[in-house]
Amino acid sequence: MMGKLSIYDQVKKEGRFILTEFESKKILKQAGIPVVETKLAKSQQEAIAISQKIGFPVALKIVSPDVIHKTDSGGVRLSLQSVAEVKKAYDEILRKVKKEYPKALIHGVSIQKMLPIGTEVIIGVSKDPQFGPVIMFGLGGIFVELLKDVSFRVIPVERNDAREMIKEIKGFPLLEGYRGKSPSDISSLVNLILKLSRFIEGNPQIKELELNPILAYPKRVVAVDARIILEEDQEKTKS
Amino acid sequence: MANGCPDSMKNVLNLFFEPQGVAVVGSLREGYFGGYVVIKTMLNAGFTGKIYPVNPSYQEIHGLKVFPSIQQIPDRIDLALIMINRRTVPTVMRECVAKEIKAVIVVADGFAERDEEGAELQKEIVKIGREAGIRILGPNTAGVVNSANGFIPDPYEPGYKKVKPGAVAICAQTGMINPQAFPYADLHYGVSKICDYGNKCDVDECDLLEYLEGDSATKVITMYLEGIQDGQRFLNISKRVTPKKPVLILKSGRTKEGAKVSASHTGALAGDDQIFSAACKQSGILRIETFRQFFELPKIFSLQPLPKGNRLGIVTFTGGVGVLAIDEGTQYGLTVAKLSPEIGNRLDNIFPGLGKTVVDIGPPMAVNNYMTIYSEILQTVMLDQNIDCLFNVIWTSPFEAFVDEYLKLYSSLQRDDQKTIATWVYGPSLPLIRKLSNGLEDLGFPVFSDLETAIQALGMAYQYSTWKKGEK
Repeated sequence: MMGKLSIYDQVKKEGRFILTEFESKKILKQAGIPVVETKLAKSQQEAIAISQKIGFPVALKIVSPDVIHKTDSGGVRLSLQSVAEVKKAYDEILRKVKKEYPKALIHGVSIQKMLPIGTEVIIGVSKDPQFGPVIMFGLGGIFVELLKDVSFRVIPVERNDAREMIKEIKGFPLLEGYRGKSPSDISSLVNLILKLSRFIEGNPQIKELELNPILAYPKRVVAVDARIILEEDQEKTKS
Repeated sequence: MANGCPDSMKNVLNLFFEPQGVAVVGSLREGYFGGYVVIKTMLNAGFTGKIYPVNPSYQEIHGLKVFPSIQQIPDRIDLALIMINRRTVPTVMRECVAKEIKAVIVVADGFAERDEEGAELQKEIVKIGREAGIRILGPNTAGVVNSANGFIPDPYEPGYKKVKPGAVAICAQTGMINPQAFPYADLHYGVSKICDYGNKCDVDECDLLEYLEGDSATKVITMYLEGIQDGQRFLNISKRVTPKKPVLILKSGRTKEGAKVSASHTGALAGDDQIFSAACKQSGILRIETFRQFFELPKIFSLQPLPKGNRLGIVTFTGGVGVLAIDEGTQYGLTVAKLSPEIGNRLDNIFPGLGKTVVDIGPPMAVNNYMTIYSEILQTVMLDQNIDCLFNVIWTSPFEAFVDEYLKLYSSLQRDDQKTIATWVYGPSLPLIRKLSNGLEDLGFPVFSDLETAIQALGMAYQYSTWKKGEK
């Protein structure tokens, strides 16, 4: 509990409302939501040591409250296979980000294990002016961006709501295992939605939250990227 | 009222529909609108409570004593109806406080819906009401109707005396539902309560849902909404009401205009309409899309039993209607019922080739004793255990005698509560269509204005029944 409080307090102290990916994941992990293991390296040596410990391949990402679009600024390197590659990537990330955002405060570089290919899912939370927090479910990539194939429910959701909102999207057959693809772990997705609903109920200071992507496998689901945005209006933080 | 509704408040809402003493504050000049009309309408409808006209310039109106002010009424007043210039409303509200009146309908308009000044006046009357514990309906409302006690304080002349008692409660943020705007009498439309809640400065959709939840005359609630005051409260109340009574909602603002600029996909995709639809799914609300559905679909719930399954039987005069009905029914999860072999044989014996999935009675029509044959056909179809809901198409013919025969036939079906029946009446004569439709509805068989609406009614009844089963 102390850790959770201190992240929010730290962020507030810095006058920020957008949490870094690293901070967001830490909070979500404490809430029991499955996120990919992510460690923060503050030096190149640390980055190498962590990579060796969690095992290759790994992904490196810049951790900075001032860098919103991590990929566009060269702050992300994926599928690194060796110590040499991590060493090089670490230098390059810092060089590029510093060039792009000379004044950015840099917390370090996050290291996470590269996961095998799974079905990409997105789950998000936002606030509706009439109903309060709502939760969204969809398939990642073009399904959400282009086809807007998503479903919503008002928080709090019950088990039945969670199941129905997953089945409601047009792309649902993909999760069931379309054309020989193995089926995704739907009951873990249901649990994730329920956990997130409870988490949001207890944290009215959160304005928006997005897990994108979540990778769904036959026997588990895991969020690979996460973003939490806090309310600026203190009035809205009361539950 | 954002903070939930204690029991005492529910009793107060009762005062809006069952007042014993009503003060009517407003112009008593003879005309098409105002206090004169309200009193006349209530007297015509046989209102069982007492009416106290309030106006300093009159002594008597419609044989009733007129009081110069609320304060001078000697008896207890449950409800005041205020229909005066907006600027005088706060003064009259204060008189209501002094008289310890607990419910006020502000018919007067020109409040938040008009301009700054109106918005300020509205705030003022809300403040007066809150401080004194007075519930306010309106402003800018055509008021309420209670068909049971003849309480029809309609500020406009309806032109007919009574609203037929029935089990449909109709609520809207518009005067389009009041007896002057809709031909309830001509349609033999059965209503329990009607409520136009206008600007909803105090009494809102949540209060009404809670009140109607406990109203024994109401079996189904149909509501037109423009916005929701408190989404979470609305959701909680709806979850409680829908297992007891179906709630149908027509909501405006279905366009994506409200799409917000947002940092995440979730925020950008969360349009008002999607969220309201989600709330409906979570709470069992039946969302409807047209004004026609708003009035017509509740009838299937107020008059017929819920379907036991999704097997749709069709009796029609033309094959085309059968095909269209099947298309429409599929969208609601209805499937075409396969007649049982026994019933199929019996129909074939009445007329060769009749015992098919869609019972097409076009060919037997040419027979001389058509009406006898028709009665036999419908009664036989009604015996089929493979049919859960029946769509029956009736052709009136140009002859009144047929209409009487049809009514006789339907009265014989009244004992059957195993099937949900929706009827569509057509023919060459509008007066005969009306006569038959009204007669059927008086017998408890809802008639719909076209085949699509009839099937939608059956489909919605089926969806509600499956949802209700899942809730248990």
